[in-house]
Amino acid sequence: MDNLFGSMTISAYGMRAQSERIRMISENVANSESAAGAPGEDPYKRKRITFKNELDRQYGIDLVKVDKITDKTNKPFPVKFMPDHPGADAKGYVTMPNVNPIIEMADFREAQRSYEANLGMIEQSRGMMQRTIDILRS
Amino acid sequence: MTQDIAIFKAISAKMGYLDARHKVLAQNIANADTPDYRAKDLTKVDFGSVLKDITSGERLHVNLNTTQNGHIPDPNNIEEGEVKKRKMTYEVAPAGNAVILEEEIIKANQNTMDYNTMTNLYTKHLSMMRTAIGRQG
Repeated sequence: MDNLFGSMTISAYGMRAQSERIRMISENVANSESAAGAPGEDPYKRKRITFKNELDRQYGIDLVKVDKITDKTNKPFPVKFMPDHPGADAKGYVTMPNVNPIIEMADFREAQRSYEANLGMIEQSRGMMQRTIDILRS
Repeated sequence: MTQDIAIFKAISAKMGYLDARHKVLAQNIANADTPDYRAKDLTKVDFGSVLKDITSGERLHVNLNTTQNGHIPDPNNIEEGEVKKRKMTYEVAPAGNAVILEEEIIKANQNTMDYNTMTNLYTKHLSMMRTAIGRQG
């Protein structure tokens, strides 16, 4: 049964990592229109998440954890012509965030699938434990 | 008590193996988005030969405990699966991740079904014994 508890822990950590990813995606979507506030300023930058493997010494298993959330980019931001915007430059262009809602949605679906897979794993572990305990009852 | 009866011992061994395999598969699913992660699996253990060894009575039913690294493992111990990286994968993602979620879920399902078979077998044998000692199983 020790392994089953371990697998539940692994799946729980997987769910935690995926939910953090979903949180970050909603942050991106919510800020998809957060343009630069003043000329020369940067608009909202799209955040990206990476995962890493970390050995848990208590259980002796590889858990998944969030490595880092980064918003670094070397691509220029898209611009939009809005002359009356406070962030507009001399020519009337405002830099917009590099968020593409379609990409975010695709990413969200992926995170959701992984989350569901982990949830399914927890349910299976629970079922296996239940079956083992049921031996006692028979 | 039931641990001394060969069939129960073999079933418990298989359950232990499936238990450990479930952990490995859960690990694969949790790491389905981790860069450079390769799916792992337990090596197969031939439980037919384990059962034969146990029922033939050639194995001692007393196990030695290994408490330190230098201790020689008991040759009568039931073989355990080894965690190995899976070599055959359909595809590797650009980030170096080689976990296919569907494949892992199917494997986990099979694993659970095997486990349920084992618990059912265990209860059936128990009820057979109960019948033998005169109570209605």
